[in-house]
Amino acid sequence: MTQPIATCPNCGAKIIFKWSSSVQTVCEYCKSVLVRSDVDLKKVGQVADLPPDISPIQLNAEGNYRNKAFVVIGRILYQYDQGGWNEWHLMMNDGTSGWLSDAQEEYAISFAATGSTTGQKLPTESQVQIGQTYSWNGANYTVSVITQAHFRGVEGELPFQYWDKDDVAFADLRSSSRKFATLDYSDIEPVLYLGELVEFDDLKLKNLRQFEGWS
Amino acid sequence: MFRKIYLIYGMLVLGTVGVAQYRGWSMDSMNQVKNVPKSVRDNPGSYRSVYSSYHHYTGGK
Amino acid sequence: MSSGPTPPQGSQKPQVQALNCTKCGAAITLRALGQAVSVVCESCHSILDAKDPKLQILQTFERITSAERPLIPLGTRGRIRGTDYEVIGFERRTIEVDDIPYHWNEYVLFNPYKGFRYLTEYNGHWNDVAICKELPMVDPRFSIPLEANYLGEVYKHFQTADANTDFVLGEFPWEVRVGEQARLTDYVHPPRVLSREKMSKEVTWSIGEYVYGKDVWSAFRLPGDPPPATGVYENEPSPFSANIMAVWLAFAALTIGLLAMMIGFDLPSSSEPVFRSTYQLNRVAANGEPSFVTDTFQLEGRTSNVEVTTSASVQNDWIYLNYALINQDSGEAWDFGREVSFYSGHDSDGSWSEGSRRDTVVVPSVPAGRYYLRIEPEADPRHSNIAYSVEVRRNVPVMAFYGIGFLALLLPAVLITWRSVSFERSRWSESDHPPSPIINTESDE
Repeated sequence: MTQPIATCPNCGAKIIFKWSSSVQTVCEYCKSVLVRSDVDLKKVGQVADLPPDISPIQLNAEGNYRNKAFVVIGRILYQYDQGGWNEWHLMMNDGTSGWLSDAQEEYAISFAATGSTTGQKLPTESQVQIGQTYSWNGANYTVSVITQAHFRGVEGELPFQYWDKDDVAFADLRSSSRKFATLDYSDIEPVLYLGELVEFDDLKLKNLRQFEGWS
Repeated sequence: MFRKIYLIYGMLVLGTVGVAQYRGWSMDSMNQVKNVPKSVRDNPGSYRSVYSSYHHYTGGK
Repeated sequence: MSSGPTPPQGSQKPQVQALNCTKCGAAITLRALGQAVSVVCESCHSILDAKDPKLQILQTFERITSAERPLIPLGTRGRIRGTDYEVIGFERRTIEVDDIPYHWNEYVLFNPYKGFRYLTEYNGHWNDVAICKELPMVDPRFSIPLEANYLGEVYKHFQTADANTDFVLGEFPWEVRVGEQARLTDYVHPPRVLSREKMSKEVTWSIGEYVYGKDVWSAFRLPGDPPPATGVYENEPSPFSANIMAVWLAFAALTIGLLAMMIGFDLPSSSEPVFRSTYQLNRVAANGEPSFVTDTFQLEGRTSNVEVTTSASVQNDWIYLNYALINQDSGEAWDFGREVSFYSGHDSDGSWSEGSRRDTVVVPSVPAGRYYLRIEPEADPRHSNIAYSVEVRRNVPVMAFYGIGFLALLLPAVLITWRSVSFERSRWSESDHPPSPIINTESDE
């Protein structure tokens, strides 16, 4: 399988894109944040030292969600009052992009909602409140937590440009089933992600980080 | 678990009642005597009963 | 698919860290591999910020808050639901109901892949608790709904109370503080319990399943015995309830069986006497001997019972008959005495009567054969002219056995139902909805 290959404009290292639709990646050698346009790769920033990795998930981990295999190809790191939280970017085996949220080993898989599913207008950051209910795709969701997160960094490939963020708000919504939704207020326009909360065992993860003293 | 024990117990109860009816058990107190001689038919007085010499009534008032 | 060249800096393998307490300098072990939010110094009990490399002090005390030691020591590992967890934190909480404090303990369990779980313990009753992934459904019209719906099961409100955190040790995935308050509401569906915890504005639902102390002890391979469980806990599974309906259904089936037997034995048995005769009491043989023998009669069929009925039209009088049922061929006999007496009259309370003009006796297990009765009658010597009749019947049903059988079937069912009811009453007596007393005792209210 041929993969797009490019060179890092900062240090010249070889950059391999695992996913053809990736927009942003991080050079593993010089930690430059690179954004891809039709023509070339452009450096937009530099990743500072990331906090020590404590998540069992790492880049190149593999798993399975509802009979679709995936590979972890990127992540966005946040910090919030209960510590660190990762949004792992997944490349599904059908070529689509998914997200694995990992906050203190509570896992959720979600996908960006397409325009057709969001029938109603999404609430803005000032409008959203804990306890409000919304209905998407025939399921009811209640706002359970609004988190003020501090952006810490990125790693690997992402499907959009995401850099130089400061404090970002997220609204998490739950339902009476395992369905789960997130309203992402990174930008002015809120973005809706729909998915579900999953158990670690459901994902059949492989190639995880090893912890000393734990099998 | 209780149901199993109870069913077994219940079947035993039913079985016992069945045997009681089939074999003709009784609640009344009885004395069984063996080897009553055939001569009693000709001489009923020769039979010694445990219950003889009653000579009183058990009624009240 | 190749994963690309390995980056120059290998990612560090997270390990258990050893640091020093900012307040007192004592060594602190961090077991949760960087996931904990706060950690408690074992020496001075100061609560420190586990996310801060400098371990900033969050709360400190003048003296150590308690000498209590958790029953499962911090650092112990145990297998729960097929996964190994390590005990990293311990918390003692208190609620007050009717001014009486109740304490219970919570243990924070950690696995680096699966995250956090909790074990709660109250009076020897344990629960395996995890945060709910699905939101339970409650009626929003009530401030304290009496029911919650979770995963298709209905949970009943058990108790609402304010919980205070008294004492903490180890690490926690939230910023814990001694004295922090939460409003707790428990809903039960034994063996599970749904807990709603409201701390300031945040609501967390968790689902717990009852675990027996001995199973906790074997999961964590602890020495000795677990603390004994006293009383009935809110979600303790009942050893009876599932069986009650089954037992009563079995009772119904067995009673039908008993009735069927009654019909089966009763209907075919004939009611014709095999012998009947009437006598006069003053019938005395020539030699003055009062006893006499009846004609012989045949008793048919299998070994079964013989019913002898004595009837006499006595009025304020009695007769007594010494009976012997004798097998003419085998010499086997059954010896019994029966009294027939009847008295009646009038007094200040009205008319009264006592006794009966008829007596029935059942002779058990009499084999078939040729039989006769030897009868020796007695009476009050002043009234010797009483007529009486004797009837003999073969193979009669004895209703008393059916009665005894029915009671024997009823008793265990009633007993087990009573024990189940007592168990449930005991459970709910601890709740916000205690059962009303069965026996009315004087109340102080």
